[in-house]
Amino acid sequence: MGEIFKVGLMLMLVAVIAAVALGYVNSITSPIIAEQKEQAKLDAMIDVASSLAAGELQFDSLSVPNLANPYAEVDETLAVVSVTDSTGAELGFLFVAYGKGYSSTVQTMIAVNAAGIVTGNTILYQQETPGLGANVSNPEKFLYQFNGQNASSLLLSKDGGGLDSITGSTITSRAVTDSVRDGLDALSAAGLIPAEGGAQ
Amino acid sequence: MMNSFLMSVIVAVPDGGEPSFSIAKMMAIIVSAIFINNYVLSRFLGICPFLGVSKQLDSAVGMGAAVVFVMVLATLGSWLVYHHLLVPHGMEYLRTITFIIIIASLVQLVEMILQKFSPALYDALGIFLPLITTNCAILGVAVLNIDDKFSLGYSLINSVAAGIGFTLALVLMAGLRERMETANVPEALKGLPLAFLIAGAMSIAFLGFAGLGG
Amino acid sequence: MSLAQDFSRGIMKENPVFKQALGMCPFLAVTTSVENALGMGAAATFVLVFSNFLVSLFRKVIPAKVRIPSYIVIIATFVTLVDLLMNAYLPALHSSLGIFIPLIVVNCIILGRAEGFANKNKVLPSIVDGIGMGLGFTLAMVIMATFREILGNGSWLGFNLLGEAYQNQPLLIAILAPGAFILMAFILGFFNIMEKRKRGGAK
Repeated sequence: MGEIFKVGLMLMLVAVIAAVALGYVNSITSPIIAEQKEQAKLDAMIDVASSLAAGELQFDSLSVPNLANPYAEVDETLAVVSVTDSTGAELGFLFVAYGKGYSSTVQTMIAVNAAGIVTGNTILYQQETPGLGANVSNPEKFLYQFNGQNASSLLLSKDGGGLDSITGSTITSRAVTDSVRDGLDALSAAGLIPAEGGAQ
Repeated sequence: MMNSFLMSVIVAVPDGGEPSFSIAKMMAIIVSAIFINNYVLSRFLGICPFLGVSKQLDSAVGMGAAVVFVMVLATLGSWLVYHHLLVPHGMEYLRTITFIIIIASLVQLVEMILQKFSPALYDALGIFLPLITTNCAILGVAVLNIDDKFSLGYSLINSVAAGIGFTLALVLMAGLRERMETANVPEALKGLPLAFLIAGAMSIAFLGFAGLGG
Repeated sequence: MSLAQDFSRGIMKENPVFKQALGMCPFLAVTTSVENALGMGAAATFVLVFSNFLVSLFRKVIPAKVRIPSYIVIIATFVTLVDLLMNAYLPALHSSLGIFIPLIVVNCIILGRAEGFANKNKVLPSIVDGIGMGLGFTLAMVIMATFREILGNGSWLGFNLLGEAYQNQPLLIAILAPGAFILMAFILGFFNIMEKRKRGGAK
């Protein structure tokens, strides 16, 4: 009995030391991780919003119902952001679209102007197959086509639209395209952009 | 609703807001875990037993059964501990260490219980159990369930499907290897290299399932 | 056995991947690019060195009966450390290695060295052994990743080697799952031939 007690105590000691050490490291790294995530999001926002107008921009978060955001309950901060210039004149909106791709949920940040036309975009997160779907992160392969489109023209050529999908990665391409279109639809349903965007 | 719906439903619902259970989502999880993202052939989890225990069909089936069994128990244990012990106390960073302890003790426990109450089953699965602790498919499925934010019900379904996918790959592999035993292969490729070649061919076949989700 | 031998053993003679077929899961999964291979190699080496160090240091204190669970806790602690530090300071790499960082826990190389070497040897040789095995693992992954990244993406460590034209139509399968299995078959086959030559020459 004494043997079991000693052995158990030893194992418990190892576990306690491990947990304390990790708790200490976590207390150091967790603010850094949080700050980094915040910074990365902010950088992406500034980068994407610069397509709306040059100069100083102001961000203000709005909440829009029905924006396709499966993580809404987890991460409240990923709502729609309205972008205004320094005088307060409205330029457009930023939002994050979530599309379930081949092996991950692809997160795309989109800038759309007040007329409902996409002006800029960037991929925030993807874990798609390297060499195939992961090419979605390379703007020259796919996302460049999004700029200048509106809710009605954002459709892959395979689905009757005019956008070329990434070679061998229809699932990823379609996930991104459809999620962005759903986001635009939600914005127009909320009355923020015109329902049938002014396609030029 | 939309074209990507079938895939987008796989996206999980966070803890707390228990989702209405949808058959479509359940099917999507099952098809994905068994075929599209097969744990062995596409995600590269559980390669060691896949190569080590696939020389004979009988042992492949035994190993597969043991893996499914432990996978489900491990998922149950790790999901409950993560969402009801770690998250409420803000100790998510202890995830890896807790999960591996849960898995190691589960394996030990299952081994002892089987030995005592079902010697027949123990004889069949016993030799595979110690190997399972270091099978990364088990820890993999426990971690992926959390990363994908699956609810408990979907996590259990996912773990059963992942186990079936693992067994499928293992059994197919064993069947092919038994046949290749007598084949005339170049000296240099005998043994492990040949096993990798077979796995590669199977993996190509499984790539074909990618279209199922679209 | 000398320290130099402890060090070099893991790199060539007992290379964990090519000679012992250990650590296959991360080896096949993260070798889609040389950058990932280096990142995973560094993470695994860090864990290997520190777990070998602690296991060796406490080899006389830890009771034999709870040896394995204790090793697992020690390894898992360092894996979590790597996970947290990488997330804080190398977020891009952290996200591309993904689930394979927590899975370092079940990398058979690490538990194998704890049980097979550090458990029976003094602290210094154990550390050196950890470095050697870690480098051997990293080297193996870099070799594999070199093949896969050049064939599948026309680049090495992100540098474009084969030009735009190749990158538009690369040998994609090298980077996909089947390519990993098939390339590994040929690499192992190559080692078999070398082995045979060496044996033949010695006769």
